[in-house]
Amino acid sequence: MATIQAAACSNVGQFSCSSAATPRSSASGVVSWLCPSAKFSTELRLSSVSSFSQATSALQNSWLVKQSRREVVLPGKVAAARAAAGGEKNVLIVNTNSGGHAVIGFYFAKDLRAAGYGVTILTLGEEASDKMKKPPFSRFSHVEKDHSPSIRNDTFAKRRQLGHRYGYLEESKKKAWIWIARRNAEQSGHGDTQELKELGVQTVWGSNTDIGAAVGSAKFEIVLDNNGKDMDAVKPVADWAKSSGAEQFLFISSAGIYKTTDEPPSVEGDAVKSAGHAEVEKYISELGFSSWASFRPQYMTGSGNNKDCEEWFFDRIVRGRPILVPQPGLQLSNVAHVSDLSSMLTLAVQKPEAANGQIFNAVSDRAVTLAGFARICAKAAGKEVEIITYDPKAAGVDAKKAFPFRTVHFYAEPRAAKELLGWTSKTNLPEDLKERYAEYIKIGRDKKDIKFELDDKILAAVKQPVTV
Amino acid sequence: MAAAMASAISCAAATPAVAAQLQAKGCATTPARAVCVRVSKAFSGLHSIDLPTASVSASSSNARTDGAVKSSRVENRRNPALDVVASAGEKKNILMLGGTRFIGLFLARLLVKEGHQVTLFTRGKAAVTSQLPGETDEEYAAYSSQVKHIKGDRQDFESLKAAFGDKGFNVVYDINGREGTEAEAILNAIPALDQYIFCSSAGVYLKSDLLPHREIDAGDPKSRHKGKLDTEALLESKGVKWTSIRPVYIYGPLNYNPVEEWFFHRLKAGRPIPIPSSGLQITQLGHVKDLATAFVAVLGNEKAIGQVYNISGSRYVTFDGIARACAKAGGFPEPELIHYNPKDFDFGKKKAFPLRDQHFFTSIEKAQVELGWTPEFGLVEGLTDSYNLDFGKGTFRKAADFSTDDMILEKLGKKTFVAA
Repeated sequence: MATIQAAACSNVGQFSCSSAATPRSSASGVVSWLCPSAKFSTELRLSSVSSFSQATSALQNSWLVKQSRREVVLPGKVAAARAAAGGEKNVLIVNTNSGGHAVIGFYFAKDLRAAGYGVTILTLGEEASDKMKKPPFSRFSHVEKDHSPSIRNDTFAKRRQLGHRYGYLEESKKKAWIWIARRNAEQSGHGDTQELKELGVQTVWGSNTDIGAAVGSAKFEIVLDNNGKDMDAVKPVADWAKSSGAEQFLFISSAGIYKTTDEPPSVEGDAVKSAGHAEVEKYISELGFSSWASFRPQYMTGSGNNKDCEEWFFDRIVRGRPILVPQPGLQLSNVAHVSDLSSMLTLAVQKPEAANGQIFNAVSDRAVTLAGFARICAKAAGKEVEIITYDPKAAGVDAKKAFPFRTVHFYAEPRAAKELLGWTSKTNLPEDLKERYAEYIKIGRDKKDIKFELDDKILAAVKQPVTV
Repeated sequence: MAAAMASAISCAAATPAVAAQLQAKGCATTPARAVCVRVSKAFSGLHSIDLPTASVSASSSNARTDGAVKSSRVENRRNPALDVVASAGEKKNILMLGGTRFIGLFLARLLVKEGHQVTLFTRGKAAVTSQLPGETDEEYAAYSSQVKHIKGDRQDFESLKAAFGDKGFNVVYDINGREGTEAEAILNAIPALDQYIFCSSAGVYLKSDLLPHREIDAGDPKSRHKGKLDTEALLESKGVKWTSIRPVYIYGPLNYNPVEEWFFHRLKAGRPIPIPSSGLQITQLGHVKDLATAFVAVLGNEKAIGQVYNISGSRYVTFDGIARACAKAGGFPEPELIHYNPKDFDFGKKKAFPLRDQHFFTSIEKAQVELGWTPEFGLVEGLTDSYNLDFGKGTFRKAADFSTDDMILEKLGKKTFVAA
């Protein structure tokens, strides 16, 4: 396990497996790797490559390896074997069904599986609801079956091919759908997949007030609430976790609760505004879990996000529109790749004593200015951008609606995670946003017809644009 | 901590948590082997500091690429698995270039107290020794009787070998060097050195949208601190054992750079404080006494060889925040802050504000993790120390000049002031 993690993290593109990954080539010149301990998810068949090194670089660029740079994939079979051996702990993630934090549960589930934990993710609401058609939920476990003729031919051919290996037609039919879905996902950059289900994550739906109904008699040593902002939403989850014997309780709070300060950054232990998240943190701390911790995020980027972040900037950049930033433009904020949060949460699960009783700022360790973020987005898109700063009051607009980030300094640093968990940040905004831009184009969002009413209102009000 | 290291899943390996503040909290994170460098009280305001050394430096071994412009310098040649012990016992024969004006005043005292032999090399423009505010007569006598002095001009490269080539110096503290050629001349004069410790500047960092500045970030070849960057490069190229410290804005008693002094003048005069643009620009102030202890922490420290460290306060501060902190430090009422657009004015050669009009702050994590050093002074506490020992007593370096303030007030239609 440590081998996989080390290889995935230390060198982009290198992928090794806990058992030796043996490259083999077939007569047609196709080079592929098959991890003997995996079923199918680690096999990559690369056509039209004439050499090992070409194959390696193709491998480096593949979707799977990009994922492995961040999350390491351990197929369900290995984890199941681990569980059978005893000692596997189970984690329940209670996940919101919308909003900026939704994606945290998705990445956390993957990281936990890679670390050998059993995972159940309970998403609020119903599996059939429209909300579940959006990412990251569309990538949990449901696959829309496309019965168009071309797909049917594809799946028939794939089933025949897989049937040769697996022999059992039903099994190959299932795999065919998954193969098609993942191919579509890769080609289109989106689409339904079963990424969590493939990893052996149990996906269930239900309510935070009746968790027992959703998970039955399953036992969880660790529970994460990635849903509530106040006592009404979180108390029932915390109470259930306590009464069902959970050892560790984790809570996704918010760095927005820090009081403004003359001396940034906001550091764990600084004064917070009362009510809401702060009340929840206090309640959890007094319930008597063997380990509890609270994580305070800011903004997140990453494939599978449910709420726009950098997309707001790309929308304008690709259409040649200026980016309008509330003055002065040098306000600091923090956008972390969501895998920084999932790695921090995973470390807390692995080191419950170190994490116990702690607040962790769940952010990357570089802040970015508002105008600077716009510049980095433009660079990621390979385009020029005009940045205009303006006064929202003078323009007669509500800054909250006109701009996606808070317009005051919103700046926390992840000092506790570094000191106590040995966590390090991997966020690399210029690189991460390039990937996000590639996906933005793949799903065709640049072609989408978007109205920019507020932007136009601001531009009309700004008589003398001040470029930054 | 050893157990945590062994089971580290994170590919970067656990960063050792040996920051002094953690020790103070009583967390069970002491390194396997710790050697304490006890820095005793040399003057009021400086507490005894235990400086445990980090047992492993894993974080420094990974060259980070996280989007901030990365320096092309080879980062780390250390083996992170080595336990490192500061050679606290070995006494050095130290040549300090400078030492009679600000940083060196405090640093030389710490070094003498530690039992090292310290020789100051200056032109003699300032008195070789003078009693510091808050320093007792006994302390001053102990220091002034032990510190040595060689008079000379470091710009006269030819004279250096004769001046100090044969005195047996094994450590150089270069506090006032500006250009690579200056350091080169020193190295030519004293070829065999255990360590060359250089006072550089965070001013070398290239301006960035991603902050704070870290040691791996690129320098700005066009900055007016280019000479500092050149000096670091020269030291690296010469194969000498070197360490470079990059402070941000230094403050404290006897500061000759008008940082806190500028604010104290206005507060004392009861004047509003004009701050350029939004006042949201973020910078970082570091107390000179904390800087001195950092300079001591790298002495004889194998970990520090070939390394650069940002040294400043552990929190950053907005421009508006500095004004308010100075007011608190001096016991003044909350000041009136006036914001103006500097582009609307032509101040000629005068500076209307003492700080760079931009974000300018660094992360001090590397020093905290690798050296076990951490700043003792919070901002208000440090400014209070500066006020009580210096500016609050009526002493200052630059006389108050409110001419630019009056230009601003007049243009903005505010009441103009007659100096009290």
